[in-house]
Amino acid sequence: MKQLTAFIHKELLESLRTGKVAILLILFILLGILNPAIARLTPWLLSAISDSMSETGLSVAAIEVNALTSWAQFYKNIPIALIVFLLAFSGTLTNEYQKGTLIPMITKGMARWKIVAAKGAAIAAYWTIGYWLCYGITYGYNAYFWGNGNAPGLFFSALGFYLIGLWLVSLILTLSAIAGSGSFVMLGVGGIFLIVYLLGLLPAAGEYLPVRLLHTSNLPVGAGRISDYAAAIAVTLLWTAVNAIAAAFLFDRKKI
Amino acid sequence: MDMLTVSHVSKSFGENRVVDDLSFSVAEHTIFGFIGQNGAGKTTTMNMILGLLKAESGEIRVNGEAVRFGRTPTNAYIGYLPDVPEFYGFMTPGEYLDLCGKVTGMTRAQRERKSAELLDLVGLGGAHKRIQGFSRGMKQRLGIAQALLSDPLLLICDEPTSALDPLGRKEILDLLLHVKDRTTVVFSTHILSDVERICDEAAFLHRGRLALGGKLQELKSIRQSGGLELEFYSAAEAERFKALFPASGSLTALKLTLKQQTQEETRNVLRMLAARNIPVRRIERLEPELEDLFMEMVRE
Repeated sequence: MKQLTAFIHKELLESLRTGKVAILLILFILLGILNPAIARLTPWLLSAISDSMSETGLSVAAIEVNALTSWAQFYKNIPIALIVFLLAFSGTLTNEYQKGTLIPMITKGMARWKIVAAKGAAIAAYWTIGYWLCYGITYGYNAYFWGNGNAPGLFFSALGFYLIGLWLVSLILTLSAIAGSGSFVMLGVGGIFLIVYLLGLLPAAGEYLPVRLLHTSNLPVGAGRISDYAAAIAVTLLWTAVNAIAAAFLFDRKKI
Repeated sequence: MDMLTVSHVSKSFGENRVVDDLSFSVAEHTIFGFIGQNGAGKTTTMNMILGLLKAESGEIRVNGEAVRFGRTPTNAYIGYLPDVPEFYGFMTPGEYLDLCGKVTGMTRAQRERKSAELLDLVGLGGAHKRIQGFSRGMKQRLGIAQALLSDPLLLICDEPTSALDPLGRKEILDLLLHVKDRTTVVFSTHILSDVERICDEAAFLHRGRLALGGKLQELKSIRQSGGLELEFYSAAEAERFKALFPASGSLTALKLTLKQQTQEETRNVLRMLAARNIPVRRIERLEPELEDLFMEMVRE
């Protein structure tokens, strides 16, 4: 247990001192503010340009914005945050292979699976905090401006993308236990996501794949029910767990 | 008791057989020099002892326990200094040793006492800046501190002196000599004078095989006598000597060497010099050196 907590502490210290925490914090907070801000500013922007638009023959009708406009922005923007997040942590193990910094740890009797576990725990914690911080900020502004009351399944719809993030983080760990470089890991994660995405277009498989959870964002506008996603959630959680176990298993046998 | 036993260990990378049926053992509280050219298989052997590489055949035992690849409990007995040590640059030396201490399961009191003691020992007591600003020599010294942290039974150093200036080398060698009482030291090197300076035993590795091994005194006595070096006043006198001893080799026009002379042979040389009245500026018996042994072995 001491080894595990010591290594988690090392991971936290590293991301704090190398500035990763600060950058990600700014990113998630900024996005959280941006979502309602864009929704709030859209009518104003349109009316500002409507005069010049009407000269060209286009007429702009007044549009109504509400919390759902802001939530739509949330789901449009959060993938950018996820990509930045994954890029920031794609080298978490491979950087250490290349520098040789794990060798003194392992030769001191550090159990290898604890290295993977500590990294997994730290990255998952960052994703959890960052994601729900972003969600919370958007939620707060939405409640203040328009009220969230009439939108159903808000929390659950956000859970879908959160689980996709966890699944991709677990893929980073598994691929890092195989690959030697961070770019290979990133390509692997991108490739697997693309394949799963394409498979998700097939009606037969779509219901069971993690990419199905991309559609939970339709819940607040009243499309579909929570139970429609049960299979995809189960598969995603299982796949994430399998990735974590595989990472520990493969890392045990990796030449470092 | 033997702290380390390597028996019939082999390892190949593809077609290339890097370590070939290697066997040796290291007794407790000795300093063991592991000598070989670059690419002789020194680092590969050390990585197998540390369980970082899997041996194809044979067995390695540390403190009587067999070494396993991957999960390697025997590493708890070992302190290891890699050839180019890299540590977490965002930490200070104190923080790094604290992390190492936690990994080896030391209590807080032990960690604080030990890391203060070791940082003083390696001369980093006052260094509170982060490791990323360290010079090579400082990293090497921190490397020794982290290797000694858990009072290992076996200290393994991979070419600890290769990258250092003469002063840095002396410091590291003195450190190794200093810790001999508390641990067994195995270090690899291609610098033979380092081995002569501090080692009790040595093994010569050549093309993955043990070419020669044993106590340093025994190794030196394999070549009981060194050669003679003679310096003359003129080239003509040197030529006259060479006519008498055709086996002698010329270093310069005035300097000649005679290989492997026993005491009787040396007396004969002196008699001949006196009898033929050849004046000599200088005559010197060359001590047998590990270097000669090494060169001979590599040439074979």
